[in-house]
Amino acid sequence: MWRKISGYIIVLAILLESMIFAWLAPQFFSFENLVNVALSIAVIGVLAVGMTFVILTGGIDLSIGSIVALGGVVAALVTKQTEFVWLGFAAAIGVGLLGGAFNGVVIAYCKVPPFIVTLALLTIARGLAFILSEGRSVGNLPENFVWFGKVSVFGIPLSVLLMLASFAAGWFVLQRMTFGRYVYAVGGNREAAFLAGINVKSVTFWVYLFNGFLIGLAAVVLASRLGAGVPNSGLQYELDVIAAVVVGGTSLSGGRGSVISTLFGAIFIGVLNNGLNLASVDPYTQKIVLGVVILLAALADRFRRDGF
Amino acid sequence: MRKLFSLIILSFILGFQIACSENAASNSSNGAGGATAKKKIGVTLLTREDDFYRELEAGLQETAAKNGFELIIQSGDKDFSRQQSQIDNFIVQKVDAIIVCPTDTKGIAPAIERANAANIPVFTADIAAGGGKVVSHIASDNTAGGRLAAEYIAKAIGGAGKVGIIGQPEVQSVVDRETGFKEALANYPQITVIPTLNGGGVRDRALKAADDLLQGNPDLKAIFCINDETALGALSAAETRGKNDLIIVGYDAAPEAVEKIRKGTALKADVAQQPRDIGAKTVEAIAKHLKGEAVAAQVVAPVKIVDANSAK
Repeated sequence: MWRKISGYIIVLAILLESMIFAWLAPQFFSFENLVNVALSIAVIGVLAVGMTFVILTGGIDLSIGSIVALGGVVAALVTKQTEFVWLGFAAAIGVGLLGGAFNGVVIAYCKVPPFIVTLALLTIARGLAFILSEGRSVGNLPENFVWFGKVSVFGIPLSVLLMLASFAAGWFVLQRMTFGRYVYAVGGNREAAFLAGINVKSVTFWVYLFNGFLIGLAAVVLASRLGAGVPNSGLQYELDVIAAVVVGGTSLSGGRGSVISTLFGAIFIGVLNNGLNLASVDPYTQKIVLGVVILLAALADRFRRDGF
Repeated sequence: MRKLFSLIILSFILGFQIACSENAASNSSNGAGGATAKKKIGVTLLTREDDFYRELEAGLQETAAKNGFELIIQSGDKDFSRQQSQIDNFIVQKVDAIIVCPTDTKGIAPAIERANAANIPVFTADIAAGGGKVVSHIASDNTAGGRLAAEYIAKAIGGAGKVGIIGQPEVQSVVDRETGFKEALANYPQITVIPTLNGGGVRDRALKAADDLLQGNPDLKAIFCINDETALGALSAAETRGKNDLIIVGYDAAPEAVEKIRKGTALKADVAQQPRDIGAKTVEAIAKHLKGEAVAAQVVAPVKIVDANSAK
């Protein structure tokens, strides 16, 4: 019984913090602010879907923020050269896929720990972003580059819909496809998965490639919203994204968790950031609050698993 | 075979260094042999690769020519050890003064101390040094920049309404801008300043901060952004929400921001530093010092407002 209820702890936590913020800041509960919160987690959310897959296999990806920046810079440069916005966006997704493929090959087939590989790519991609952009934001782009920042359907911005679609796709793959079961199996017990005839290397590679695709998508959304390719964007996104995944309740040791809980984790952190800003909490205190809350969430998860 | 190979390489390296030092020697003898025994000033810049420092260098050269100084200008290329050895070379060359735009505030101190020991006066421009004896530090007046932005906004919103700030509390020069801004707005009792949000000085975080700022304060009239990346992030947020009557004021007048100001977006004005002026004031300070006059320990270079009129 306790196990069942505690699965909803994160939902209860979101309700609780919402109530506190509604009391502190009257503007908190409005359709517009809900859209605002959704908008603020759109990029992080897309990335968190991919990160959930990676963490489920027992891996980690630290390179996502840098690749987002690199993808944005490439999108802006290609758009500037060719005058075709769609070509720029496609190039950013290409950058994401390349980054994901690099991680996948080195991790799955060269057997280097994910932490090291993606740490290396973190600095390489950031360096490339600065070299390609000559250290400056690439701006003054054609009008429709900011497409994702402008278009909305029934009052819901396109980038939010894209995030929801990513979560839906992630859920479908994990829960309804054989590949999803393989992902859990690989993360739960690599040896057993191998003995059961699962191609562990191939599953790992595809997870990082899928993650790369989502990184490319996130790069497009961010660059489009910013109206530029910004080499120093995406700083510490890896931390925000890992926090969303872990706060949601996905285990860092792999094999346990889901994209739905990640969605709640992302909402929880998004509401927290938004509420603290609305309530005009000063930026230094915000950092402390965020850290404490993440710690509490991790503790709650630990007790949920092992009892008090 | 391998020995021979390394010998060849070694001789190459030696030859290269000799060539270099000859070059340097001929340079300095040139200076000393000048008819009027020009005063020599060693300059080590942070970099030569951005517009700010190119302008600063131009200011140095103009004013040096006026005063009859000879400048030996080198670039630290944002490399701390390179800059250190440049200062050591200036000491060996017995220059009359050294100008440093430090690549590393703290780390540069020992090199400055060595110049102090050799009795060569040291001046810093744009970026301060964290140690050693510096005669004078010449830099933009960030507090005044904040005040200028405040006056601009106060005028544009008619002296009343809510104003937000997107800052970066980790950086001192930026905090100075914010302080000046708040000081000046304190004179307008009908203007409410909302507590500063942190945009981290980067565009994506500034965008989020601006989103929250606009969300929490639908009646917000203006935002002061402590640099241009922040201002451009805030502009994206305003444009997404169709808030074209918002007034955003940025800082630095980078080309992309000036372009937006010219186009008539919500980004209405920028505070611009005047690097050429910083260069000029630095050489003037040296001229005074070498004549034996007193020089202020801090010299501030003025800043100015760039808006749609002046950006044309």
